[in-house]
Amino acid sequence: MALNRRQFLTLMGGSAGAAVFFQACGIPEKELLIDSPIEMPEDLVTGIDNWYATSCRQCDTAEGIVVRVMEGRAKKIEGNVDYPINVGKHSPRCEAGVQGLYHPDRISSPLVRTGPRGSGEYREISWEDAIGRLTNELQNLEASGDQSQAVLVTNPIGGHLGLVADKFADVFGARRFTYEPLETSVVRKALSDVFGQNAMPDFDIDNSDYLLSFGADFLSTWASPTRYSRGYGEFRQGHDHRGKLVHIDSRFSATAANADEWIRVNPGTEGLFALAVIQSIVSKGHISDSVVNALTGGDSGWLSTYSPENVSEEIGVTPETILHVGEDFSHSNHALAIGGGSAAAHSNGYASVKAIFSLNHVADNVGKKGGVILNPDSPIGGLEAAPSGNSFAEFQRLTEDMQSGTVKVLMVRGADLFYGLPDTSGFKGRSANVPMIVSFGGMMDDTTSMADLILPEHHYLEDWGTDIPLAGVGYELVGFQQPVVRPFFEDRGDNLGTKGFGDVLLAIAQVMQMDLGLNADTFKEVIRESARELYALRRGSINAPTFEAFWNGVLQRGGWWDVNAKGPSSAEPDRLDGISSPVITGSGEFNLMPFASASLLDGRNASLPWMQAMPDPISTATWQTWVEMNHKVAEERGIKEGDVVTVSASGRSITALAMPNPATPPDAVSIPFGQGHRDGGRYSAGRGGNLMAILDAVHDETTGALAWAANRVSVTPTGEWVRVPKFENTVPDFPRDEHNHVIELTSEDAH
Amino acid sequence: MIPGDFQPQRPTSRQMVKLGVLGVVALGVFVAIVLGLTFHISAWLGQPVVFARSEGPDQPIAFPHTTHVQELGMDCTFCHRNVEKEAAASVPATGLCMTCHSAVGDDLDEIEKMRSLYEDGRSIHWVRVHRVPDHVHFVHEAHIRYFSEKDGIEPSQVCQTCHGDVKEMEKVKQVETLKMGDCVSCHKENSAPTDCATCHY
Amino acid sequence: MADSQDRKWGMVVDIDRCTGCNGCVVACQSENNIPNNLEEHFNQRRAIQWIRIERYWEGEYPNVKARFIPVMCQQCGNAPCEPVCPVYATYHNEEGLNVQVYNRCIGTRFCANGCPYHVRFFNFWEPEWPESLKNQLNPDVTVRSRGIMEKCSFCVQRIRRSTREGERDEVQVEDGDRAISPACVNACPTTALTFGDFNNESSQVSMMKEEAMANRGKKEGRGYRLLDNLGTEANVIYLKKVDNSAGAVHGH
Repeated sequence: MALNRRQFLTLMGGSAGAAVFFQACGIPEKELLIDSPIEMPEDLVTGIDNWYATSCRQCDTAEGIVVRVMEGRAKKIEGNVDYPINVGKHSPRCEAGVQGLYHPDRISSPLVRTGPRGSGEYREISWEDAIGRLTNELQNLEASGDQSQAVLVTNPIGGHLGLVADKFADVFGARRFTYEPLETSVVRKALSDVFGQNAMPDFDIDNSDYLLSFGADFLSTWASPTRYSRGYGEFRQGHDHRGKLVHIDSRFSATAANADEWIRVNPGTEGLFALAVIQSIVSKGHISDSVVNALTGGDSGWLSTYSPENVSEEIGVTPETILHVGEDFSHSNHALAIGGGSAAAHSNGYASVKAIFSLNHVADNVGKKGGVILNPDSPIGGLEAAPSGNSFAEFQRLTEDMQSGTVKVLMVRGADLFYGLPDTSGFKGRSANVPMIVSFGGMMDDTTSMADLILPEHHYLEDWGTDIPLAGVGYELVGFQQPVVRPFFEDRGDNLGTKGFGDVLLAIAQVMQMDLGLNADTFKEVIRESARELYALRRGSINAPTFEAFWNGVLQRGGWWDVNAKGPSSAEPDRLDGISSPVITGSGEFNLMPFASASLLDGRNASLPWMQAMPDPISTATWQTWVEMNHKVAEERGIKEGDVVTVSASGRSITALAMPNPATPPDAVSIPFGQGHRDGGRYSAGRGGNLMAILDAVHDETTGALAWAANRVSVTPTGEWVRVPKFENTVPDFPRDEHNHVIELTSEDAH
Repeated sequence: MIPGDFQPQRPTSRQMVKLGVLGVVALGVFVAIVLGLTFHISAWLGQPVVFARSEGPDQPIAFPHTTHVQELGMDCTFCHRNVEKEAAASVPATGLCMTCHSAVGDDLDEIEKMRSLYEDGRSIHWVRVHRVPDHVHFVHEAHIRYFSEKDGIEPSQVCQTCHGDVKEMEKVKQVETLKMGDCVSCHKENSAPTDCATCHY
Repeated sequence: MADSQDRKWGMVVDIDRCTGCNGCVVACQSENNIPNNLEEHFNQRRAIQWIRIERYWEGEYPNVKARFIPVMCQQCGNAPCEPVCPVYATYHNEEGLNVQVYNRCIGTRFCANGCPYHVRFFNFWEPEWPESLKNQLNPDVTVRSRGIMEKCSFCVQRIRRSTREGERDEVQVEDGDRAISPACVNACPTTALTFGDFNNESSQVSMMKEEAMANRGKKEGRGYRLLDNLGTEANVIYLKKVDNSAGAVHGH
């Protein structure tokens, strides 16, 4: 057709426009380039995947994991089938390690503060400069003989990293603290007294047939949940006889949900229940005299004050319930008792947990199948499992020292003190009296964002380490952690980027000419030298002709163990203590039952989006802090799901979202720990409420640990409403009648 | 009426409606044609075969397959080592080139370029010639294995089925469109799975 | 690949073992490049979880119970989602999988409309990751864009990779091999999920299925299919939760 010039130009313009438009939506140019690798490593080629064994450090359990690495990038984490603790299984939290490694808010070089504390204003400096600044301060203290005014606080670390950190503090003369928001010291001391072990024994849940648990959410977050869950699977359906789980707790936890029977007790009375069960069994003469004598100190008269009739009212159950449990427990062939968690988080925590674990002596299951398996000592001299945290009382004394100006340098690693210490400790305010706060955090958190100097450490997937398990497997085991990828910030050069915590301490020691007594310059070398000791034992899971082959073998399999190097096969029972009534503080009308979130734990995983998005098993809620309350009580008060409520304790408060459910006791509310970070990266900053901050200072009588389950709170609606981000549907799934079973059930008799 | 005085008739409302409808339809058809043409043209714009870019793209190092394959008789799999193992045929590491070129070829500019990149620890940014979209998981290994077993030929001889006669190419160019039609017809001919989930997952 | 026609992939889920920990959920998200579910996604009830844990309440306090059931695509033999796709983007292949072809999908969402298990998820938003998090994405799985339907594929990428590597290395892929098992199966701490070939009589899943679906008078197996009355012929067999408390009933 004949086009005039105007028409032609229009057509050209139109199609050119279209061409540009479609080009803009086209393939990004970088996808049209292939970068050749420089050298030959054939596992860097596209498409090949290699699985490297290491230790997971998302929580203190340190499971053995294998990480799928393709082209030098970590893609997927799975359980290491060889590693004895988890035998190929892994917890949901392990998966999120890869998100931590590639987190967009990781700190990529040492930082020095330029604005006021907490402003987030920092400037990048080199490692040389950063270490120089710290050593300067430390040398000043040394010069004036005030080394004890330096304080090193870390999370519980064992293995070689613990060794290095402890030696560093020791040789310098700094004070050494271990911080755990949810303290394990009560349980560990009780276990130590009941079983004579420094670490936790293993619980053979697999072969048990009657499992009585008190307070410990062992299927979700307590101690070694993956190992226990693996055992639980077999406990249920792995044998001809199906085991029975009875869970005694003041809260409907995930473990309570899976129990055959959940016995709800008043907060802090779990130990009383256990003691009453012991009394009922003793009074029926079901156990041997020697055990009775050991438990009661020779005279069982005092035990009768704890008979079911006497304590049932305080516990909040009928005497028949206690007697029934006692009957079932003593008639089972493989009865097992576990306790901890909220049962330990009271003023009577230690005595309670001691009574609970003593039930195992009553069942005579120590060292037997389906019972308590004791652990041997560490195979390497000087290398131990992580210690328990220092008690809350000790941290309160530390803040007093801070107030009086006797803490000049506070070095923090893996311990979010500004987040986890309750406000009653005064830590935040008194930190102004500490001239220098140094953090080794790899990402901002409430503490790192208050630090004057940040020396960012590697992510655990980039670093070396070893682990002596806290909750062992009944025989000697040393886990080995190795880097599975090159450090993410390697390109920034040797003077920027991140460095392993162990290596940084060794570097500081070198600058200050401190002799740590380790004949090695790098942390990897420290571990290698120790591994020679293991090799010299000439036994265990790695059989190799040379040390190099042994070292490779250990790294390949993720650790070294010796199934023949077992722990003691029995233990003497310890005399039981009387259990006092729990001290509950606060004037609010609800018992506060806090819990470690299944995804965030005590808040350490809040920066990871998969963990924020993982629905809580009971409520399916995500991304926020919520208040579980009984739905009938909520209805009476006109509180519905999503109502923003103020939760107040000890004169402080947080806001959270109400979530009525049918399982919360009417006189209680249940709130998860984990949110309420001031800083922590884009996924966690400024989100939810920090329950730890408002807890009141109640201590366990014996250890001084924080009794975090001993508060009463008041809950007041604010009048606002926010939709609760949760996975289940909007229509509440409250049971409409007693016989409404959505899930198909069967009773075992049909088998 | 004056001769030559043309009075156009005013259109009736019926005619107006008809015209209006016709206009809308025509507009619709026009838009559809423009969109269709744009879609098809841009889909084919990347096809070197159609627009006969007879030379292939310029590479950062002008690596001549002619020299290495024809004159020196090197096998495809000597450099593209991954082709018998995994999905991608893989471009070799510079280190492989250096096994010979650390000593050979001192007088050539391209080799100097390559050596300096190697010494600096920088990779060569090769321009990709053959590309299938992200939603296609093409696996070289299975195809090499199949053809070399079936036809009893060396793996290197399979390459030219899709990549053409690379040994004749100074600069590598794409000779087959590598569109799905090619894949499916070859699969049908060889009784290979035509299940979508074979490649699309 | 030649014997893929002989296989019929299926799963057995033991509800008595499941503790509702959500390990399978996170493992699936890691393996399959599922977009991060942000708060807005949950608020709009459009979060994507190819496998999910459903929690049901029973009873009144204090005799309240919570039951957990993992639900993923049942890979139905008679799938309601397959016949309705206008562009044939979803169909049943010869290995017994319900295949979702991302590049064909035009996003009518008719398939999700038909699925009684609500296991199909639509990308209502463009999936986005911060640049550094993209390093974690699995290259074996297509990254979907907005407007695409997605669902559990029994980790077909693992099936393909391990079958191919088995043929290449001339090694038989064993039943229950971790390389071929979906991410959720490998993740489950209690071993509640089992995966395998129903056409192989000696495989673990086949034996479990046979025992579970047995109905021999006094001894009744624990097995059932979800919403079986709809006739979907699901390839996932569930094993009933055991409740020995007085008056445990066989529910519907």
